[in-house]
Amino acid sequence: MNKDAPDALRYVRYDSARENEYVAAMRQLISKDLSEPYSIYVYRYFLYQWGDLCFLAMDKDDTMVGVVVSKLETHRGGPMRGYIAMLAVREEYRGRGIATELVRMAIDAMIARNADEIVLETEITNTAAMKLYERLGFLRSKRLHRYYLNGNSAYRLVLYLKEGVGSIRTQYDLYGTPHGGSANPSGTGTPLFQENGGDLI
Amino acid sequence: MLPNNEVRVPQPRVAQPAWDITAEFTEAAAKIKSGKLVKDELFTLFEAVGALEIMDSKMDSGYIAPGENQAQALEDDYDVRRELTPAEVVGLMDELLCHEMAWHMGHPLSQTLFTSIYLDKLLWPVPRTVEDAQFDRTRPATDLPLVNLVLRSYCLALVKACDFVHSRVAAEYFFEEEDFVTQLYNRNLLSVFDPSHFERLLDQAIDWINKEAEMDEKLRDAIRSRLVFRREFLLALDRDLDVLESRSTVNFVSCLSQLELLTDSVALGKSVPEAFSLKIQRKLASTVPPRPIVHISHEDALAHLKRLCQDAIDMQHMLDYHGPSNFKTAVWTLLSRKPQPSVYIRCLLQALIISDMTILGAVSVKQFLYDDIAELVLPSSILLQANTDEVELPTDPRFQIAQHMEGFVKRFAQPFVDTVRCACLNRCRIRRTLCHTVVDWDNLQMEAEDLDAQLRTLTSERPVPIPSGEPTYSYPLSSWAYHQKLIQLRLVLQMGFELSIYSPEELPGMYWYLSHICTTHLGHLDRIRTFTVAARKRDLMATSSRPDTSSQPSSAFHQSFRSLERLTTHLIAIDAFSIALHALYVLLARHQLLSPASSPQAYSSEKLRYELRMKPFIPVSLPELVPFQAFQKEANLEGDSDMTVLERASNAIAEARRAWETTLANGAFIEDPSSRTPLPSTTIEEDWKRDVKDTMRACIGTSLAIETIKKALAGPTEMATLEVAIPDAGSKARWHDWWVVPQVSEKKRN
Repeated sequence: MNKDAPDALRYVRYDSARENEYVAAMRQLISKDLSEPYSIYVYRYFLYQWGDLCFLAMDKDDTMVGVVVSKLETHRGGPMRGYIAMLAVREEYRGRGIATELVRMAIDAMIARNADEIVLETEITNTAAMKLYERLGFLRSKRLHRYYLNGNSAYRLVLYLKEGVGSIRTQYDLYGTPHGGSANPSGTGTPLFQENGGDLI
Repeated sequence: MLPNNEVRVPQPRVAQPAWDITAEFTEAAAKIKSGKLVKDELFTLFEAVGALEIMDSKMDSGYIAPGENQAQALEDDYDVRRELTPAEVVGLMDELLCHEMAWHMGHPLSQTLFTSIYLDKLLWPVPRTVEDAQFDRTRPATDLPLVNLVLRSYCLALVKACDFVHSRVAAEYFFEEEDFVTQLYNRNLLSVFDPSHFERLLDQAIDWINKEAEMDEKLRDAIRSRLVFRREFLLALDRDLDVLESRSTVNFVSCLSQLELLTDSVALGKSVPEAFSLKIQRKLASTVPPRPIVHISHEDALAHLKRLCQDAIDMQHMLDYHGPSNFKTAVWTLLSRKPQPSVYIRCLLQALIISDMTILGAVSVKQFLYDDIAELVLPSSILLQANTDEVELPTDPRFQIAQHMEGFVKRFAQPFVDTVRCACLNRCRIRRTLCHTVVDWDNLQMEAEDLDAQLRTLTSERPVPIPSGEPTYSYPLSSWAYHQKLIQLRLVLQMGFELSIYSPEELPGMYWYLSHICTTHLGHLDRIRTFTVAARKRDLMATSSRPDTSSQPSSAFHQSFRSLERLTTHLIAIDAFSIALHALYVLLARHQLLSPASSPQAYSSEKLRYELRMKPFIPVSLPELVPFQAFQKEANLEGDSDMTVLERASNAIAEARRAWETTLANGAFIEDPSSRTPLPSTTIEEDWKRDVKDTMRACIGTSLAIETIKKALAGPTEMATLEVAIPDAGSKARWHDWWVVPQVSEKKRN
């Protein structure tokens, strides 16, 4: 069998016992597509708390060729919300459904842990990623203006897993409010546009 | 993908006094195994994303690699005292302009203007006097007027212009990072100095250049036009609010004329890339990783600047208040220009629209609110006329009405003004904000309903029989609030089309929903009209018994009926077009000509996707959310044959075309009947017309698509031989962002 055949791939769950080896490979894989790397704390933040929601694709030489990093927690006292934070597949391995498989594993794991919904953001120029998630049933819920450092905008993609999620009330989140114009010097006296949807996650 | 963006980190918590924790730390550390990870419960993702790894060259801007010389790593050897050729000066000025515009577009100073070594020398250390701001403060200036007078005055005026832009934006409502980056890195944009210093310097520089007989004429003209532009731009920004008084945009007009000359001479410039350096980032007080210099092309920079000037000039056409609907139309139209006006323009507009609770510096917020209510629901009513100043007897109903109305104004004025100001946000934020304000207005409507009930006992209102119903009360204030909400619901959907939120398989349903909202709105306007007609009848009866009364109510009624008529025509146009597109998409979906984004293996069902799509409307009590089964039936036109659906599409598009024709003929603005002179034609009106004409083109495109389907359904071509393309928003084939018109054609035979 040819070494590039998908059959040669192995999908595994992240294992904290192999942190040094896995995290290094993961960072390398993910940083490749980023102008600026995430700090080690970002990886630790996810893996320390939700290592079981992180899945890896390894080739037959046990080299990491794909990774998905996610988390799952109650969103502002409301629904149990899954978040797919990072997804990367090595360039020469793209187009074989590895990313879809990884995302499916993450979603299945979240469903098993009683997730109500799953959200993520993707750059609007990243049509491949959007297609992937939309095939899985995600919808674009909003567009985020100049969301990334390079000035590109993003779509928030959302997948509801249960009925009634849209009606679950959430608490107002201070960290979710936008920072702009917090001062209101125009003298109108009252804050404008209470928008509580400006959350990062 | 998670964004990597440190400024999204929340503000640090309040600092506490420092104390020595060595002992506590050692004790705690002794209890855990080596290599074990400890996470503070309060350590958030925001903090993780904002963290930097010191000694990592990609994250630590102060990192000096082994073997790297500290002086070399931090200092540039570019000599700001060196002589520059006129071509180099032009090149430097244009490069600085590109950086200035990149900053206007939302990039941080650290990656744009603050990469200029010349600017760095002028601004750091912070100069105490204008004289202090020299390229080299350590030695007396060399006798190089091209550098020390011409380039220096240009740079100083540029920085001062940035100071004006910075304070204008920071004073208004904007989104940090999304729209603009306000970070100054402990530098100061010469804010303490009066702009007259820099105008004087520019004048000296212009005088000098005019006398330079030996310089190549073209280069001399190029430098002069850049200096003149700087002076005019500085003046324009300095006096940007004066336009309310002066109605003059003369400085922006001169900027535009200089920009013509400037554009023609860009090619004369010689770039001096070594005068810009990333090393300056290492000195800027910031915790940001090193980030590359942002390069935008001269064309993009000049195009941005030209649009900024043009938008600023065109703004003067909306400064005269001609009633609420004209004002709202002008604001929305100007801000819907493509590309959207820059953040500076959007902030300037906010300042002009409302400051000190005054609209356009002329009309009180209360008056604006009352005008709008009068135009829609109460052309002549004691509610808007009662005044506590005139009636002081607390038992008098008029006194009580006035008191109730005062409370109403307090509660509703701000949200109402915000419905107008909302247009000043970036397009994504407009939609997101609407999703929230729709819920606020749902509550406001309920409050208004209570108020209506109290007021009608004070006015002794008599119920009016409405067609198809019992006698009922008018509920004027809540009717008006409901109207606001219905506009917002419609805009949420329309902005959704503009921002490409909906997937192909959602299009039939979303156009059905749009028509559903329009139909509801039309029904609401009918209800309002019934009460206005009844009020008019009462009014006529009252005046016929008192022939000496003025004709003022008559013209108010006339204006209100006309306004209702215009709103109705516009809504019919939108409604009919949505019905046509809905029917067309139903046919495409039935015949598998729409490729859906979701696969059969999707995790979500159509029902779940419907719930997600309707999330903003779930908390809204009126109009009630359409239950999924009913929605599905309507959206798919279940039970209707293809021919019935086709006929529906044909009829609707014909009606849409007529209604858009009438809308165009009605014009953007309502003429004031009391004014002798008609409203002057303006660029904003042209924009509005172009928008309607684009919509009409989209109608024609829809007609063509319907015709193609009709032929296919009738044979000889078959539906299976057709293919469908959905043009992207912003593309030429799209005609109008709000109308997703499919291109239906026969498949090319291979």
